[in-house]
Order: sequence, then C-alpha cells, then structure tokens
Amino acid sequence: MPYQLENRPPDLRESMYFPEIIRGIGTITKHFLKNLFFSRDANPDILARKRGGFGHSDNVTLQYPEERAPYAPAYRGLHRLVPREDGKPRCVACYMCATICPAQCIYIEAAEYPDDPVEKYPAKFVIDELRCIVCGFCVEACPKDAIRMDSGEHTPPSYERSAQIWDEKRLLRGPPVSYQYDPWLRRGSPSIPPDKLEEMRARAKPFPTVATDEASQTPGFSVRALAAEARDRAQAARK
Amino acid sequence: MNRFFGMLLVIAATLAGLVLLSAGFYLAAGWLGWGFNALAGWISGSPGVSRPAVYYGASVANVLTLLLVVLMISASLLTVAERKWSALIQNRIGANRIKVFGSALGGIPFLAADALKMLTKERIETTGRTRVLYELAPMLAFAPVFALFAIIPVGQGIELNQIPGLAGAAAAGAVEQIALQVSRTDTGLLYLFAIASLQVYGTALAGWASNNKLALLGGVRASSQMISYEVSLGLSLVGTMIAYRTLRLEEMVVAQGNPVLGPVPALGLLLQPIGFLIFFASAFAETKRAPFDLPEGESEIVGYFVEYSGMKFGLLFLAEFAEIVVLAGVITAVFLGGWHPILFEGWLRQNLTPFWFAAVGAGAFIAKMIVMMWLQLTIRWLLPRFRFDQIQKLCWKLLLPAALVNVFVTGAALLLDPSGQLLAWIGVLTIVVIAVLTAAVGRAPAPAAGHGAAHAAAGH
Repeated sequence: MPYQLENRPPDLRESMYFPEIIRGIGTITKHFLKNLFFSRDANPDILARKRGGFGHSDNVTLQYPEERAPYAPAYRGLHRLVPREDGKPRCVACYMCATICPAQCIYIEAAEYPDDPVEKYPAKFVIDELRCIVCGFCVEACPKDAIRMDSGEHTPPSYERSAQIWDEKRLLRGPPVSYQYDPWLRRGSPSIPPDKLEEMRARAKPFPTVATDEASQTPGFSVRALAAEARDRAQAARK
Repeated sequence: MNRFFGMLLVIAATLAGLVLLSAGFYLAAGWLGWGFNALAGWISGSPGVSRPAVYYGASVANVLTLLLVVLMISASLLTVAERKWSALIQNRIGANRIKVFGSALGGIPFLAADALKMLTKERIETTGRTRVLYELAPMLAFAPVFALFAIIPVGQGIELNQIPGLAGAAAAGAVEQIALQVSRTDTGLLYLFAIASLQVYGTALAGWASNNKLALLGGVRASSQMISYEVSLGLSLVGTMIAYRTLRLEEMVVAQGNPVLGPVPALGLLLQPIGFLIFFASAFAETKRAPFDLPEGESEIVGYFVEYSGMKFGLLFLAEFAEIVVLAGVITAVFLGGWHPILFEGWLRQNLTPFWFAAVGAGAFIAKMIVMMWLQLTIRWLLPRFRFDQIQKLCWKLLLPAALVNVFVTGAALLLDPSGQLLAWIGVLTIVVIAVLTAAVGRAPAPAAGHGAAHAAAGH
C-alpha cells in the first residue's frame, strides 16, 4: 500500500553515521541471538508453525524436498485425464482442448468403441508438458470435465525430453468422476456391465453447468449470493 | 528450550576448550623451547641455559600453534561461519545439505567440500597475462596477512619453570619468558603498519597482471581505497601509542590491566573510544569486505581476482578471511584488554597457578577475537555498499579529521594529567554521548499507512 515518505535530508544525528550503525547492530544482534538460541518449529503442518515470540526462532525456511508448503486448492498442477468408475476416460475426443490450447501441445486421435456406435474415445491423447504453458484453458474448454489440473503436482523432472511427452496411459489417473447426465449413464452402454452402471448412477453428481454454480465454487464463496446482495442494496438505495 | 540449553552448553564447552587449547599452546612453546636449548647444548658441547635457543624454540612452536592452528583454522572456519551466521541474521538455516551420519554438524563439512572443489577445479588462465606477477599475486596477498599475526600477543609471558614438567629447567629470569606471541619486536605497531601496507601489492598486481580491464579496475579500486585508509588507520592508533607510551603490543596489553578509574581497568576502548571506531572502520576498509567491497563488485563483474580460478582464487579468498582474524586480534590486543579476562581477574590470579592463569588469559583473548570476528561478519549484513566517492569522502573528510582531533585531544589530556584519569573521563564522556545519541530516536513517527494516504499520494 503506498504511503507518503518524507524525503528530507538526514538530520545532524543521522549524518554522524555511527549512532545509526550501532542501532543497526542492535537489531541484527537481536535476530542472531534469537535464531541461535531458539530452534525452528518443526511442525509438519507448515501453515500452523509458530514463528517469533519467545521460544521460537524467526526462521522462515522450508527444507524443500522434505517439507512442502501446501498449494492453494486452485493450483494448476500436472494434467490428468479424469477416469470413469469403469476405468475408461471421460474424454469423448471432441478436440475442444486441442483447439483452444494456445501452445498447441495437445494431440488427440479419436476412435469409436466397437460395441457402442454413438460414443467416441481418444485412441491417443498426448500432452507435451514442455510446451504446455499451464494456462488452464483446456480444463475450462472441456465440456465433459474430462481433463483437470487438480493433481497438485509438478511435472516430474526427467533426463530426456521424450519423457516429458505424456500419453493417455500416464495421464489417465486419479479419482473417477460421474455426472448425472453423462450420456453413458442415462442410456447405458454395452461396454459397462449393468451392476457397475447402477453403482455409477448412484454415485453421480449434478453437473456444474456454468462457472457460477455452487458446486464449482470454493465453499463459502458464491457469486450468486453476492450478486443478490448487491441487487438488494441497489433496491434499498432506490427506495 | 532444548536448543537454548544446548547452545549454552556449546558456548561453555567452547570457552573451556579454548582454555585447554591455550594450555596446550603454552606446553608446546615451553617444551619446544627447552628442546631447542638441549639441542643447542648438544651441538655446542656446553650444557647450560641459552636464552636465544629457548626464545627460538618457543617462537617456532608459536608459529606452528598460533599461525597454523589459530589463524588458519579460524580463517577457514570463518568461510563456513559467514554462511551460517548470515543465515541466522537473515532468519534462514544456511548451508546444511552435506550431512555426516545424518547430522549437518553446523555446516562444517562444507569446509572439506570447498577445499575439494578449489583443488580440483579446472585451471583457466588468460592469454597475455604477466606470468610471474600473475602467479605471485595470490602469495603476495596472503603472506603479509600471515606475517601480521606474528606480533599479536595472544598470551602473556610466563617463566619457563612455571610450565608443568619443566619446573627444574631454569631459574626464573635466566631465560626469556614463554609467551604466546611469535615475535616480540620493539617496533610493534610500526611493523603492523609496514606489513599492512604491503597487502596492497597483492591485490593491485593481481588486477594488473590478469590482462583484463575489469580485473584492472578492481585492482585500481583496491589500491586507491587501501592507500587512502592506511592514513586514518595509522593516525587512529597514534592515540593509543600516546596513551600507553609504547609501540609494543604486549606492553599495551599489560598497561590495559592497570586500574585507572577506581577498579575500572584502562582498556583501550575506555581511553580511546573514537580511536576504536576510526580504527575499526579503516581496518574494515583494508579488509575489502562489504560495505567497502568495491574492489570486488559482483554486480559489475569488477574484481581483482576475476581471472583467477581454483586454489589461486582460494588463496585470495582465504586471505580476506585471514585479514578478518588478524584485525580481530589487533583490536583485541589494542582496545579490548588483550589477554586480561577482565571479569574475576583478581580472583583468578590468586587462585590459579601462573600457568593456568595464563591459559585462561589466552582463552579470553581468543574468545574476544571470536566476538570481534562475529562483529565484522555482522557489519556486512548491516550496510549497503558505498559508492566510490562516498568511500573516499568517508576517509578523507570524516575519519581523517576525527583521527587528527583524537590525537591532539589525547595528547592534551595526557599533558594535563599524566596519570590518564582525565583521558579516561573524556572517554567515559564520549561513550555516554554516543550511547545517548544511539538511544535517542530523532525520526518523527511514520504517518498512518491508511487508505487515505494512498489517495493523497495519487493526488485525489
């Protein structure tokens, strides 16, 4: 937050230089002794660590590979192809993500299930993680919620560039998701056994049709509620 | 809390270790002196006590213990201490990834890693360098620092027969006293100034011989800075020479034990507080460390050693840390009472044998040196770098006049009152004035950093 700084020449005491240096040594010594005599709070819950105050050092360091700060829930991590409960990808190979991708790092080859003439699936789904700019457009473009960046991981390092090209076998992972209006749930699919289909239908969630839907928002935050409040305020002001 | 008590334990153990180490140094000096005496007797065929033989033997032992153990080990430990101490100052952990059996050991294994890296690095040298001077410069930078430590009186002199095992060796006064000091010269501080001014050759030649404009710039900066600060460095110590009426460092230390104001001893810090500040600032500029590190500006790629790699760079780098140790030693001897333990000195003197009292004194000296080294590493994180004109201005327009005034005031005070009490009172007054100035905060409280201030700053 900007505030006005008084830009004045140093007064006599400051221009004598040494008093201010001695004060500075005092400040530094305080930090030094505190960090020398008190240890870091080693609480594995990093956000709950105690810092400063009596009995704790002011240390802010995280020993990175061993200690990691949790990412925000909205963190865009490594992509994953969201599976269905039967292990197949939710992706219907519509090419929306490949089309919107500004880095053109997604390659898809569509195929059809032999026993289901309606449904398509990606025979190949390849992401070049080195080209990806982690913009998240693919996730927003996907009409089926089939690609997500919610893994909370970085792309793991590798010695070869070729290891950074992720195909559908590596991308398809994570918890399965089903929505109530998924076409394969509503009309059934020859590839899904009937008992499995019943289980999937029971677990299916309502689909978040727009971004302002409560289901797709952080708990406690609602664009609709805020908009309603603003509307009420405006009406109250008009009266 | 565990760490708190652990640290207290570590500090206590360090102090005890220093005392034991000093006792070992005294033993080495005494026994080697006596061994040289026996050797001289055997060669000349006339058994007896030879003063020069004992003195040379003790000096050789002191070269080994003080120069190689105290100076070199503290200088190399300081390279690690710089990382760990600056980490503590900046709320970090510091170097700790090399672990020995799961323990980082305070970062000390990094010493071995650094040495290995320096020794096995590829040697890259510029074409067109002045070969002889290029090879000579690191040695010329390092040798004077090493030689400077020879006159630091780490421990007081004791008689040869007071050392354990040598009780019947020689009667008191028959031979030189055994002291933890390599060389007891009459020139004392003059030797210090002479050798300190030789340091500039190493840096200037390193810059010049590298056949690199940036290295030359660094060398030129180093030489102009060091030559300027030598003036105020010399003048700041003239006050102590007048106050203690000697050039010899060991006599200065002895004189600092005499009470001057009631029980308060005549420490250099008390008699010469201004001299201390000026000497500290000037000597700090001589070591070429931040904030006076213009000869090696990382951000400008300027540096007298940019063309040095491997252990040649290591030598220039180590010379800087050795300078810190030497500076700490000089300050301790001249201003902080040397080997006088200050606290409980009378009690210690009465209840310990002379040998153990001397060992405690030498331990106190090294402990004070450690505090001064810590202070020098601390200053680095306190001040931003000076601009070059600011460096010269600080030297010629602030430190030099202050040093001159200090010399005249000291002389006048001692002329009026040869016992030194007036000088001590002036010193007390100075310290009180500095303390009051330091404690007084002149700055007005900052305006409330509210939202309104932002609007005011933006002009609406």
